[in-house]
Amino acid sequence: MARVTDRITILLAHLQENDTSVRIQAIEELGGFDADEAVAGLVVALEDTEPAVREVAAEFLAERRSTTAIRLLIHFLGHDQISTRNLASETLVRIGAPAVDDLITHLDADDPDVRTFIVDILGLIGDRAAVAALVQCLDDPNLNVGCAAAEALGRLADSAAVEPLVGAMDRMDDLRLPAIEALGNIGDASAVAPLVERLATDDPIVLYGVLDALGKLGDADTAERLAPFLDADDRSIAETALAAVIAIDRRHGGRISVDLSLDRFTDYLFEGIRDHDADITDFTLSRLKRWYGNDVLRGLLGVIDHVSDSDLHRITELLRDVGYPAGKAITDRLKTAAKPLKLRLLDLLVPFVDDELAAAVTPLTADADPDVRQRIAHLLGISGWTGAIYPLKELALDRHAHVRAAAYKAIGWLGSDAQVECIIHGLDDKYPEVREAALGALIIIGGPHVIAKLTADLYHEDTERQRLSVMALGWIGEEEVVSSLVNAVGHPEATVRQSAINALARIGGLQSVDPIRATLHDSNPGVRKATASALALLAGERAVPDLIGLLSDDDIWVRYHTILQLGTIPGDATVDALLPLISDPQDIIKLAAAKALSGLNSQRACSALESLRSDENEDLVAVAEQALSQIGDSA
Amino acid sequence: MNISMREENGIALLSLSGRLDLASGTALKEQVKKLFANNMNSIHLNLAEVEFINSSGLGAMVSIMKETRMRKGRLTLSNLATYVQEIFEITQLSHIFEIFPTEEEAVSSFSTVHAG
Repeated sequence: MARVTDRITILLAHLQENDTSVRIQAIEELGGFDADEAVAGLVVALEDTEPAVREVAAEFLAERRSTTAIRLLIHFLGHDQISTRNLASETLVRIGAPAVDDLITHLDADDPDVRTFIVDILGLIGDRAAVAALVQCLDDPNLNVGCAAAEALGRLADSAAVEPLVGAMDRMDDLRLPAIEALGNIGDASAVAPLVERLATDDPIVLYGVLDALGKLGDADTAERLAPFLDADDRSIAETALAAVIAIDRRHGGRISVDLSLDRFTDYLFEGIRDHDADITDFTLSRLKRWYGNDVLRGLLGVIDHVSDSDLHRITELLRDVGYPAGKAITDRLKTAAKPLKLRLLDLLVPFVDDELAAAVTPLTADADPDVRQRIAHLLGISGWTGAIYPLKELALDRHAHVRAAAYKAIGWLGSDAQVECIIHGLDDKYPEVREAALGALIIIGGPHVIAKLTADLYHEDTERQRLSVMALGWIGEEEVVSSLVNAVGHPEATVRQSAINALARIGGLQSVDPIRATLHDSNPGVRKATASALALLAGERAVPDLIGLLSDDDIWVRYHTILQLGTIPGDATVDALLPLISDPQDIIKLAAAKALSGLNSQRACSALESLRSDENEDLVAVAEQALSQIGDSA
Repeated sequence: MNISMREENGIALLSLSGRLDLASGTALKEQVKKLFANNMNSIHLNLAEVEFINSSGLGAMVSIMKETRMRKGRLTLSNLATYVQEIFEITQLSHIFEIFPTEEEAVSSFSTVHAG
């Protein structure tokens, strides 16, 4: 014990050394002792000239939380050095709840500054055990202590403080404002009525405070009471009242439906949106549908490049509801907008562009920026305006591929079969995106003219064009394309034959079965795979003999694919054909057979599948087990 | 093709099944026309059971979309099967229709739009 005391004495002496590191080291060691002398040493170190030393000492004291430390720290609140007082205060706040009782005991300190410090600390600690003591402090003879007590009670947010604060508000003029703020911060509804009474005050400062406080705790009725202040001559008061209504509205999920005259606040609200104030943005957008006019729309479009994507989406939907006036405001704004804003504005028009708006933006087809021209083509396409055809045909000749592509798409959406020749040109474009856009347009338009043109193109000198034509015929999918596709089954190009078979399978109809059967021995394995799928889909059980024939195909992937197709056709013949394949020398074939049998749910497959459970190939074991479980479940 | 219809929060929810071609596309347009006549301009088409759609079917959808826009209404689609999704991509119609993965998401988008 004596050795500990001796060591502490040595360390306390080290606190007087000139070398900062020695002093810090001493503090770190003192922090390891429980003795009061060690704690006192740490507190004394709060007076050190070196901030680093003071901070290390404060750190240890905050961790220690001992009564000795707390009392010494409270004592230091009366220190003549402001930095020491502040550090003691901060340390006590960090100690928190364990310091509350001692702090309350010292609220009778003679020095009003110490009392003020203690009240502040109690507020920052936030322990409601201090409420009663702080309420007493509202009557402190020193005004600073009273004001600090009101502020602290606001932080503690305990409804027990409401009544004393209301009383203090009436008793002492100087305490009125902090008491009002505290009532707002407590947020208890019982304060609404006394605060509403103070709306009649002549003192503008008090009125600001009351409006602000009511914004924090008011309800829909309160919002009604605040509404008249929006017409106040004093603009600051009017804006404070509006901010209060917005705060109430936010707390009530935007459901406050008080009629408000917002016209004079256009700048205030749009400035709030520009500053990314979420409450103002929400409020303004929620009101916009019932409150719009040219000024409002102009204001909104003025901040459009400052809003988040989700708010932009809301704005777009609101503008769609507003309809033509919004579109008109946008087209006006487009005239002076720079590129990024111009593109955003054009996107805004998408949900509600109609003939009239389409006509209004058509001059922008001559815009110098290709991205703008692309957006315009898109807008014209979705507008459904038949007058857009001519400008779109011009855009289909644009020197930028993405503009031409947008133009072809748009012509397709407008669905005019008079434009087939124009679109066909797009199939010759050197850029794939343009060719694909033209192809899409032809698919939408369809009809005899398109079908005849595409059928002729099946034998175009360019094989890419042949491929596009057969694809387009397939997607057009009308009865009229069947004969063209049946002919294409015998096309010299394998990709064309394959696409034709796939398309015939999708379109359906038994008339395609025989022409497709003719390709069972096609030289191309991709075609034979397409044949297997098509026959399974179109002919079902009747296709089984042909599919069994394909099980002897030279190409293992044709066999694999055929097995899977057989798995879609229930029946004994299929099972009989698949069972021997479980013992095929090729694992991939065994795997396909197991999968196919699993789909057929035949009990007859069980013993064959059981034999796979001891296979060396883990994939086969897994598939077999899955198949057996599936068959078991369905039995 | 079968078309079943129900109403939810003022939105006409049409579920289509089968093949959407010339005949069924015409039937669909007729059905939608009746909705317009009853001032129902918020329409959702659930395409989960549509197994085939051809040029005429697409034409019918485009025509319904144009009519809905003209009436300041809103048309949404959902549950596009892979095949239908593919044709919407090829024709780029996916850029002009509002397409949602599920009917629930489409329906809730109507309420988002009209809230406030």
